[in-house]
Amino acid sequence: MVRWLASRTAQAAATFVVAVVLMFFLMRLSPGDPLARLVGDRQVSAAELASLRTRFGLDQPLLGQFRAFVGGVAQGDLGASIAYYPTSVSELIVARLPATLLLGGTVLIINFTVGIVIGVWQARHRGSAGDRWLSIVSLTAFALPSFWLGLILAWLFGIHWRLLPAAGMTTPALDPGAGLLPRALDVARHLVLPAATLCIITIAVTIRHQRSAMIETLTADYVRTAQAKGLSERAVVWRHAWRNAMFPLLTLFGLWLPVLVTGSVFVESVFNWPGLGSLAAEAILNRDYPLVMGTALLVAGAVVAGTWVSDVLHVALDPRVRV
Amino acid sequence: MSRRTLIWAVVLTLAACTGTERRAPTTLTIAVGQLASSPVPTMTEGASANSDVANLLFLRLAELPPSYRTSGDSGFIPRLARSWERRDSVTLVFHLDPNARWQDGVPVSAQDVAFTIARARSVSPQMATLLTTIRSVEVEDSQTVAFHFSEAYPEQLYNATYHVPILPAHLLEGVGDHSEQQSAFVRQPVGSGPYRLAEVAPGDHLVLQAVEDFFLGRPTIDRVIFRLGSDPEARNNMLLTGQADAVQAIAPADAPRIAANPDLALYTVPGFGVGYLLFNQQDPNHLDRPHPILADPRVRSALVHALDRPRMLQAVYREFAYLPQGPAARLHWIVDTTETGVPFDTTVTTRLLTQAGWARRSDGTWSKGGHALSLTLNYPSTSRVRAQFAQLAQEQWRRVGIDVSLNGMEGALWIDRRTDRQFDIDFSSATMDPSPAGITQSWSCAGIGGSNVAGYCDPKVDSLLGLALTDAGNALAHYRAVLETIRADAAAAFLYSPSTIFGIHRRFENVTIVPYSYWLDVWRWTVRNGAGGGASQPADG
Repeated sequence: MVRWLASRTAQAAATFVVAVVLMFFLMRLSPGDPLARLVGDRQVSAAELASLRTRFGLDQPLLGQFRAFVGGVAQGDLGASIAYYPTSVSELIVARLPATLLLGGTVLIINFTVGIVIGVWQARHRGSAGDRWLSIVSLTAFALPSFWLGLILAWLFGIHWRLLPAAGMTTPALDPGAGLLPRALDVARHLVLPAATLCIITIAVTIRHQRSAMIETLTADYVRTAQAKGLSERAVVWRHAWRNAMFPLLTLFGLWLPVLVTGSVFVESVFNWPGLGSLAAEAILNRDYPLVMGTALLVAGAVVAGTWVSDVLHVALDPRVRV
Repeated sequence: MSRRTLIWAVVLTLAACTGTERRAPTTLTIAVGQLASSPVPTMTEGASANSDVANLLFLRLAELPPSYRTSGDSGFIPRLARSWERRDSVTLVFHLDPNARWQDGVPVSAQDVAFTIARARSVSPQMATLLTTIRSVEVEDSQTVAFHFSEAYPEQLYNATYHVPILPAHLLEGVGDHSEQQSAFVRQPVGSGPYRLAEVAPGDHLVLQAVEDFFLGRPTIDRVIFRLGSDPEARNNMLLTGQADAVQAIAPADAPRIAANPDLALYTVPGFGVGYLLFNQQDPNHLDRPHPILADPRVRSALVHALDRPRMLQAVYREFAYLPQGPAARLHWIVDTTETGVPFDTTVTTRLLTQAGWARRSDGTWSKGGHALSLTLNYPSTSRVRAQFAQLAQEQWRRVGIDVSLNGMEGALWIDRRTDRQFDIDFSSATMDPSPAGITQSWSCAGIGGSNVAGYCDPKVDSLLGLALTDAGNALAHYRAVLETIRADAAAAFLYSPSTIFGIHRRFENVTIVPYSYWLDVWRWTVRNGAGGGASQPADG
């Protein structure tokens, strides 16, 4: 087990390094000047452009830039953003991370609790009218484009009924003396619509995975044995069947972890949620190399860590895999 | 006590109580597409978001006249400088307002002015170019500073006041570029303007707090909040739900929706931007050779005549843009707004192409020496406006047999192609300074290799520009002759000079939006009686 763990960890680390190196060079090899958006429509002299290139190290050869990047990362310095100069990339990421974690975490929790309960219910009532309707509704929600659903919800609940704020994460003009509870409630109100949008669209995947895994498990001999022993329905379903039906969800959970830190670009844009997804998208659009690499490090780390966690959990919980 | 006396007593008591009540703080929340990250002059780069905030924190010596005329000394509005005088044709002397204070209480002094100009020149090559005619800045006493220019020209006052607001020498002298002290100053700037930076929530909002003892009068609006809304739809939603009081840069298509809300007013502000189809006069494959098709002015003119520019403008911008007749925007003081420019006339197109030796084929297209009249138009696909105009132009040219293929590309790649002069027709867009002197960069022979990417060169234009820059008395006539010559040369098809559309809550009064720095005068806005507060209330509150 220890050997497997060491090998899997080394594999994850290698994947991370290769991903980062590839991203570094692909980003720089793509056509387009990173200073173009910074300068915009303004007419600038060649001297000014040269000065800006020197500031961001873009006058160095590619390998020199890579060495500087690796050296900086080793010292925990991701450099200064081009678009947000002189703010450092680390500052920008740290500032945006809480919003992304809050949104991603909320969606993840709702997705995996509600999704599992509905998936199990559907498996137990397979073929019933309720099962069919839930499948139709969840798949329809899955097929909706997130930005479209976001716009509809924002219009309906924010503009038409004025029940919830349609944008942002906080009310900036809230009384500065407001306590923790009013502030938390303010954030919660802002969280409802973006979280609901993401949940509605993504929960179908969890439901489908859970439903099929559970249907397969419910027909297994050990489940029939448990029922024959006279165990209650709840005990059979949750203690015997579900424990074996949760493994596909572990893989799904591993794939979901990166979303926790990267957020959703569309939903963040529509609801003006100040998270990392919109920051990363903006950085790519602006060719803001340091910021792109900073967010790329985070994404690559999250993807690799998510896969690693789900693999390790799989091995830890399922003795058959160890064999 | 009679009944009347009693009523008066009650009324007076109530009035007295009202008078002693604390005024509810007023807040203006502005939804913006980009949030300032470094709102300090000479420490900002490009983004107008930075300068919009910087201009509320730091004052210039004087602001532009309401006519935005940059030539001459009249009409400028005193700010840090209470007055100025011309000692001779190359010396301007400013007398600072003795009440002007930095937000840490230190008086603004002539040393600050000299320091700022020196700093601007040393840290920014662009500033160094803009301020190149200022030979020296001499401190005569703590409140008097003299600008010595290397030559006599009409835009001395503009150059001395517009380009850089004044910085506090006592806090920044000796502080190195990119140093920790400089970063600390950017985080907590000390300015001389009507607002101070109170809070920054990166990626979300930025709060400015009114300076109580601002020497030009306390701002009526206590707090100005710039709130980020990267997505235009999110910004509109913030305005419509009351989460914001003002939104800038509303798309023309969204304007009716905002205008339909009885609480909101639309403001249209002309700007200093121009969009145009630029014809490359150099062969993209051999830059030392003329363009095989577009070097001929008759072909370029034929292309311009084939475009129904007023209809294109109406289709894309409705009433929110002006049809330019040259490389100058609606607000440039040199523009003659009655000028009608090149008319839409396809018979002229046919005649000019025939004169240029092009023959019409049976399928309606044109050829010359076995080569088809076929061109490519590059534009940034990220710009919806330019994509719309490009499609309209392509269709209109197709109708007269001119084949133009559209090449929409990602923004950075488009700029690369433009800078490398790898295009036939480039959909250019320029946001210029209020001074028309910027025309020199893109439309003079000297600009070739720099901003003049099309290789346009007409010695007559160069000569007229030289006269316009030096002859104050006839600058207007010279500039207009420049525009006319560029138009006659058909160097480009000038399509639009857009206005910026703002949606602002009606409780704000005396609203003035300054085209070169939108929120510059916000400290003088007022709030309708009994309409305190602001977008602080929750959406359902």
